[in-house]
Amino acid sequence: MSVIQISHLQKYYKVHEKEPGLKGSIKSLFARKYREVKAVDDISFEIGEGELVGFIGPNGAGKTTTLKVLSGLLYPTGGEVAVLGYTPWDRKPEFQKQFSLVMGQKNQLLWDLPPMETFILNKEIYEVPDLQYRKTLDTLVELLDVKDILKIQVRKLSLGQRMKCELIAALLHNPKVLFLDEPTIGLDVVMQKAMRDFIKEYNRKFKSTIILTSHYMDDVKELCERVIIIDHGKLLFDGKLSSVIDRFARNKIISVVFSGEVNQRKLAEFGDVREYDFPKVRINVPRDQAAKKASQLLNEFPVADIIIEEPPIEAIIREVFTGKMRPAG
Amino acid sequence: MMLAKYWQVTKTSWENGFVYRLNFLMWRVRSVIRLLTVYFLWAAIFQRTDGFLSYDKAAMMTYILGTGVLATIVFSTRSIDVGTEIAEGDLSNYLLKPVNYFAYWFSRDLADKLLNILFVIGEIGLIIFFLRPPLIMPTASGLIAMFLLVSILALVLYFIFSFLVSAFTFWYPEHNGWPIRFFVFVLLEFLAGGLFPLDILPPVVFSLLRLLPPAYFMYYPLQVFLGRLSFWEGVGVVSGLIFWIFLLAIVLNLVWRRGIKVYEAYGR
Repeated sequence: MSVIQISHLQKYYKVHEKEPGLKGSIKSLFARKYREVKAVDDISFEIGEGELVGFIGPNGAGKTTTLKVLSGLLYPTGGEVAVLGYTPWDRKPEFQKQFSLVMGQKNQLLWDLPPMETFILNKEIYEVPDLQYRKTLDTLVELLDVKDILKIQVRKLSLGQRMKCELIAALLHNPKVLFLDEPTIGLDVVMQKAMRDFIKEYNRKFKSTIILTSHYMDDVKELCERVIIIDHGKLLFDGKLSSVIDRFARNKIISVVFSGEVNQRKLAEFGDVREYDFPKVRINVPRDQAAKKASQLLNEFPVADIIIEEPPIEAIIREVFTGKMRPAG
Repeated sequence: MMLAKYWQVTKTSWENGFVYRLNFLMWRVRSVIRLLTVYFLWAAIFQRTDGFLSYDKAAMMTYILGTGVLATIVFSTRSIDVGTEIAEGDLSNYLLKPVNYFAYWFSRDLADKLLNILFVIGEIGLIIFFLRPPLIMPTASGLIAMFLLVSILALVLYFIFSFLVSAFTFWYPEHNGWPIRFFVFVLLEFLAGGLFPLDILPPVVFSLLRLLPPAYFMYYPLQVFLGRLSFWEGVGVVSGLIFWIFLLAIVLNLVWRRGIKVYEAYGR
């Protein structure tokens, strides 16, 4: 059963363009120029119950806009959306009690009060029964290890502590659907790991459906089997993370360790030499020629060791985003 | 369950208020200074004359001290932050949750008003104790009941009015809603009769101002308190209030719905 259905979603914005400088400012007082921006342009996908999907794309790709539409904050320009069978922007309380949106960039915690106060307020707002509230709170507090900070003013907490409390505030009503927008942004590596472990555990334990956006490929690699890649409002890829490589990678990497002197110029004819740290060398070669090139290397050079590798997924995705790569084949 | 939600909002709002002790204290000081300024101005005028148009000293002094109470009941507000919430995208926090945004802010406003009313009673008590102005106190329970009813309706009307002002931010988010709010505030005190009773103005001006919503915020409730209106005139005031409440509520509903559609949940 699919929990989230999006078909041909479009969200266009009108933005006002101003020419630089004071002259531009004065001009725009009289005649404002508007331009249409297609933040999301004809995107369709479905997500099933309990899936944890990575939603990736560079800044301005349309990830957050999509999540805002799914949460009912924005009205789409076109297309159809159903989350748990509801139309999000109707903002029905029965729907709102079943999902949560967490943004790494913005908080819902009451800034001047301890996090506990936000939890209590959310308990009432979501009408969570006492017993369930206490059970959930205890579980979350333990999983995230925040017992000591619940009574400290939010403004005095570190970013990591605050993010953990943001998660608790968002999860107290046991949402079935969870939208996490950059939950690890700005966190140190230890805290990022703690967040990832928590998200994984939460997904496993509560069978909740999760969409996660992140700039950190580690988040996605560790958590998501399935990824959806968008850029400039268009869907570029939807499938298993592992098949991103088959789909986009045009090269393989040959790592060689030489046992004697080599002619560098001759080596450069084999492919794109990425690293030269004699005796270790890494060469990018076209995928379909990898085996042939490797055997040529073995024949023509004094080789101690040779490995053919897939390029790292980060590199592939980076190249997809910078537009250097379109789907192969 | 529904009420528990908004009772919790009220309680949390108080807790938040206690964090801003200094802010609150300064606000009270400002209110007292404003009140004393207008008070001494009128006290000076009444040293030279016994009556000013249709007001004698006791009526005028009661009116002026009354504006202090009415300002607290009607004007003290937290929902002043609504414009900022729209401009900065914090409105999203509420749009995501099963909570009525108007009811949320009304609860917060009530919390703020109750706290302020506690203080204003003490402040005016001290002013009366030290300055001993002549005062008029209503004795008829009907009059007091009418005054309370009119004040509560005025509070509701101002709440809707203030939300309408904030709603401008949907279309002009760069301004945080402040230019228009500032303009409205400066005008409001005058139009509501916060500095003097409106009926001392030239009849042409008064006949216009008496019809506008601001006259209901201070002028009319105090006319009721001073016993200057007949029963039917009082009924007229209540009807006027109800008319404006309905009209502005309908307008707010329309404006808000359109606003939510242009809202872009900035910064999130």
